Amino acid sequence: MRRLYLSTTLLFWLLVTAFWAGSLWLPPTEQSEAVAAEKIYSKADLAKHATPGNCWMAIRGGVYDLSAYLPEHPSRPDLIEPWCGKEATEAYNTKTKGRPHAPFADELLAKYKIGKLAAEKS
Amino acid sequence: MLLLRFLSIPLLTLAATVGPVFWALPEGLGLARSLGIVVGWAGCGLLLACLLLMLREPRLARALGGLERMYRWHHWAGMAAYVFLLAHPLLLAGDAWPNNRQLAWQILSPFDQGWPVWLGWLSMLLLMAGLAVTFERRIPYQTWRWLHVGLGLAVLFGLLHLVLLGIDEPVWPIFGLAAFFLGWRIVREDFGLAARPYIVQSATAVAKDMVEISLKPLAEAVSVMPSQFVLVAFFSGPTCRGCGEFHPFTVSALGASGEIRIGVKALGDCTQKIQSIEPGVMARVQGAFGKFLTDRPSSPQLWVAGGMGITPFLAQLRAGSLKQQTLLLYLYRSEADAAFVDEIRAMAVRDPNLSLRAVATGKDVPDLSLLLPDAAVLTQHDCYLCGPPGMVAGLRKALSLKGITPRHIHFESFEFR
Repeated sequence: MRRLYLSTTLLFWLLVTAFWAGSLWLPPTEQSEAVAAEKIYSKADLAKHATPGNCWMAIRGGVYDLSAYLPEHPSRPDLIEPWCGKEATEAYNTKTKGRPHAPFADELLAKYKIGKLAAEKS
Repeated sequence: MLLLRFLSIPLLTLAATVGPVFWALPEGLGLARSLGIVVGWAGCGLLLACLLLMLREPRLARALGGLERMYRWHHWAGMAAYVFLLAHPLLLAGDAWPNNRQLAWQILSPFDQGWPVWLGWLSMLLLMAGLAVTFERRIPYQTWRWLHVGLGLAVLFGLLHLVLLGIDEPVWPIFGLAAFFLGWRIVREDFGLAARPYIVQSATAVAKDMVEISLKPLAEAVSVMPSQFVLVAFFSGPTCRGCGEFHPFTVSALGASGEIRIGVKALGDCTQKIQSIEPGVMARVQGAFGKFLTDRPSSPQLWVAGGMGITPFLAQLRAGSLKQQTLLLYLYRSEADAAFVDEIRAMAVRDPNLSLRAVATGKDVPDLSLLLPDAAVLTQHDCYLCGPPGMVAGLRKALSLKGITPRHIHFESFEFR
C-alpha cells in the first residue's frame, strides 16, 4: 500500500507540473472563439431566453448564451437558473453570497459571449 | 448470518461510494469532466466509509466481522479514496486541456482561485501529509496517532470545499455524519468516555520483559470471552507512569466477578512503562473485540503460539477442558521468554485432549516446516496461529505447503497502525 501511495503521489505532482509547463510553453491549441460581431441586444431580447434550455444572461454589459454551460456549472441548478433572461452582473460578481467568481470563470464566460446589452435610455 | 457479516463492509463501502456518485451523475458533459466529478464523489463516499470503519465499538465490530477486518477495510478504503481524489482535479483540468491549456492550468492552480479551491487543495495536502505519516512507522505511537487525526480534518475541509462551490444539498448531511463519526471516535474512544473503570489488583512478571496484570472492575465489567482482546489505558501511580493511551492487550484469564488478566510485553515506550505498574493504579478498559478462538469447529486442532502469542490460547485453556483434540506448539526464544510454560505443562498432564510441544527456537528464525507436524498428521486439522507478523506469515506458508487450505488456517495479526 505504501508503494501505491508513493507512486500515485509522484504521478500526481508530475501531472500538475505538466499542466503548469503546458500553460507556459505550449501554444494554446485553440483560443476562445472571439465573437465576430458585437451584436446589440435589448433587455426584451434577453427576456425571451429565460429557460434552462435557452438561457441568456447579461453580465458586465455583455450578453452570454449559457444554455450549453448550465449543466456544467458546479452549483445547484436552482441557484443559477433563475438568472436566465436577466441582468445577472450582481449575482455573478457576488455569487449571491458576497464572493466573486475566480479569474478562470471570467475566461470561461468569454467563450459564451454573443453580444452586448443595449444601454438603457434615461 | 455469516454471509451477511462477510458482506457487511463491502456492501457498506459500495453504498457509500455509489450513493453520492448516483446523485451527482453528470449528463452531457465531456468525458474527462464527467469522470472528474464521478471520482470526486466516489472519493468523498469512500472517506465517509473510512471514518465509520475507524470506530471501536464492540457491537459495531461484531456486526462488521471484527475490529481487525474493519481496520483492514479502513486502510483500503482510505487508499482508494486518496487515489480517486488525486485524479479528481487532474481530470477536471484535463477536460479543458485540448482546447485551452492556460484554462486547464487555471482550473488546477490554487494561485488563480478563491476559498472553494483553496480548501480543496488544503484537504488534498492534508490527506497527502496524513498518509505519509501513516506509512512512517518510526514515529512514536502517541505522536503518530495525533498526526493521523489530520486525515479527519482533511475530510472536513474537502466537504467544505464542496459547500463553498455551492453544492450544499447532499454535502451537509455527509458533513454532519463525518463530524459525528470523528467526534464519536475522539470523545468516546480516544478520550475514553466509552471505557469502563478498573483497578490494578496485581502485576506479576511472567517472563523477560513481560508482566501479567490482573484488573478488577470498579463498575460494570466489560463482556469478554477467552481469546478476545481489550483496549486498556493505564493511569499513573505513586511510583509508576501509565501512558494514558489505549493499547490492545489479549486477555489471558477471566475471573468470576468480572476480573480480567492481560499479558503485557515491553514492545514500545508505553508497554515498557507498564512493566512497572503497581496494584492500586486506575485503568480504563474498552471492548472486548476479536473472535480468534470463539467459533471453533469440532475437528482436531493445531495451535501455534509465538512468544507473547500464547495469551489467547492460555485464556482458552484456563477457561476449562478442551473438547477437541489439540496440539499446542509453543515457540519462544529462550527459557527466560517462556511465559506460563510450567502452568501449560501442568494443564497438558490434566487434560487428555491437550498435547504440548514447547520449543526454545533461539535467536535465529527457525525452520517452521520442521517444527510443524507432518502433512499426514495435519489432515482434517484446523490451525490457529498467534505470534509476531513475520512468524504468522511463515507459518501460513509452511502450512500451505503441507496441504492445509486457507479455510483451515485462522490467525489474528493485532496490527493497529
